[in-house]
Amino acid sequence: MRRRDFLKAGGAGLVGSTVFSISGLTMLSPGNANAATVSFNLTAEGTYKTLVDGVSVYVWQFIDTNSTGPGALTSGLVVKEGDAVSVTVNNNLDRNIRFSIPGVSMSSTRTISPGSSRTYSFTAPAAGSYLYTDNVNGELSRAMGLAGPMVVMTTNGSNNLYSGGPVFDRQYTLFMSELDDRLNAAVQAGGSYNMANYEPNYYFANGLSYPDTKSNSDTLIAMSVGEDVAIRFINGGAITYPMHFHGYHVNVASRNRIIEKNVIEKDTVQVERGECVDVILPVAQAGTYPLHTHYVPGVSANGVYAKGGLVLMSAA
Amino acid sequence: MFNKFQEIYIMSAHRGGGGGTATPPPTTTGGRAFTFLRAPTTVTAQMNGSAALADGASISTWYFSNGGGFNGDRTVPSPVIEANQGEQVAITLSSMMPHTIHLHGLDVDQQNDGVPATSFEVTGSYTYRFTATHAGTFMYHCHVDTNKHMEMGMFGTIIIRPSNGSTTQAWDNGSVFDKEYLWQLTTHDSTWHSGMGGGGSNLARYRPDYFMINGKDGANTITDSATAITASAGQKVLVRIVGTSYMPGIIRMGSLPFEVIASDGRPLVQPYITTEQMCAAGERYDILLTMPSSGQYTGGIEYRNIRNTDALGTVTTTITVA
Repeated sequence: MRRRDFLKAGGAGLVGSTVFSISGLTMLSPGNANAATVSFNLTAEGTYKTLVDGVSVYVWQFIDTNSTGPGALTSGLVVKEGDAVSVTVNNNLDRNIRFSIPGVSMSSTRTISPGSSRTYSFTAPAAGSYLYTDNVNGELSRAMGLAGPMVVMTTNGSNNLYSGGPVFDRQYTLFMSELDDRLNAAVQAGGSYNMANYEPNYYFANGLSYPDTKSNSDTLIAMSVGEDVAIRFINGGAITYPMHFHGYHVNVASRNRIIEKNVIEKDTVQVERGECVDVILPVAQAGTYPLHTHYVPGVSANGVYAKGGLVLMSAA
Repeated sequence: MFNKFQEIYIMSAHRGGGGGTATPPPTTTGGRAFTFLRAPTTVTAQMNGSAALADGASISTWYFSNGGGFNGDRTVPSPVIEANQGEQVAITLSSMMPHTIHLHGLDVDQQNDGVPATSFEVTGSYTYRFTATHAGTFMYHCHVDTNKHMEMGMFGTIIIRPSNGSTTQAWDNGSVFDKEYLWQLTTHDSTWHSGMGGGGSNLARYRPDYFMINGKDGANTITDSATAITASAGQKVLVRIVGTSYMPGIIRMGSLPFEVIASDGRPLVQPYITTEQMCAAGERYDILLTMPSSGQYTGGIEYRNIRNTDALGTVTTTITVA
């Protein structure tokens, strides 16, 4: 499966096949009780990102040589609950970092000095959506782009959001982030920057801004009337994202893997900083509709509308 | 395919001219503290408004008016529009410049969604049509160059009444109330209101400097009869909170507890009682306040930065037991 197909597989793909390959990882067929041993290799790197308006900006990224991330993200982890996971991180940045997944206990909490590598091991936790990042440099890391999505599927690879949880026909992951180009310039120049002054002016879903989101299969949400589509919002930025669905109400299933007890249909779902919110979208009508942050400045590139955090949902 | 839609509807829009359905003046009836238009109705997009601020300043605003030219209601927010659950609702937009109405939360079909990229812009007139499937609180706003147009004031609230049109019940067999208020979150960055420009890097960073309820700030909010809550001891007051600001706000009724009964046009399965409720941009919350036996309280909205740590500004009003 190509990297572009990160987490938009339908039920047939996950349940029907005996061996399922996603993100360079072999997932065992349902009924096989043996947890897999999986490994990833990430490099924390300073690199340049060309934005939707053609501007090139210095960013930090976790880069997987297998390019496993959805959309324009350079890394993304997909595992199954119970898998033995090891992530080797190479640090090519100019400062210490530490690989961290909030909610997951790691084999090591040691930092990685510039030019070194370290392997972090953990047992894949309960099925759900997670954020991985560096936790040495605080919000600066997320503002600079040093973060990514991890999706944990159920033990048997079923199409449940979590064990015994809601069933979906398809799933998409939307990793929301943004940047303030003044911060990136300051970091690139080796200067300091106070996060209290952070005012982003570019916004992304899976690293892409509209209209580029239209031409990427990870950010053009294709679906069919009658299906239940899982959408995993992973807030990898340093602002909140009130995500508004045109055309549909959705059911909020969980926030940071905590099951939402007050089941409610929402058309706008607030996703806090660092939060992972899984929703089920019952596709009630055909058509093409936007899904975007209602912090509407977030639907712009340096103030130019609509080149920001907006994706289209298209139901046949 | 979408361009095809656009062509057809813009043609029909031009055929419609600038007229549309005659709109009666807004009325206040029942327990409402606000005026409203009853659908079917017509609103006119205007770009010549101004808002008087509590500090004496004035900023230019854009808005949907309930009448043509200078004869209609020229305030921000735009008129409240009401219909009943089960009705085929028609709202005509009349506009000399390209604008739209996005029917936020009403889950309308693509043609009536009011998004230029997937629907079409309206120059002339177009009648948006949808079936009101759920009673509750919804929004409408222009979706052309939305970053600018909505912040300039082109937004309002749509209330869907129960099937029987009751103005004392939130939805069919739902919570009952005696009085009804609307708190539409409103913030303005006054630098965005200078000139007629549509966008660009001057809109890159949103720094609101006026913090409002229903388009009024400071002392004007405290004296605004559409905002300041007055009811008798024991009366139930429904307050519809509408997230029309880009920034989230924390709603408080002084120290008074209130019950959150619905959000985004849907009843909560498990209503809860609290003394504060966060409302993010685009969200709505319907809250039910049971008036205490006596006293006056200071309620209001504390706006938070989307960075969500610092208070950006606070607007207050009074809650008075009559």
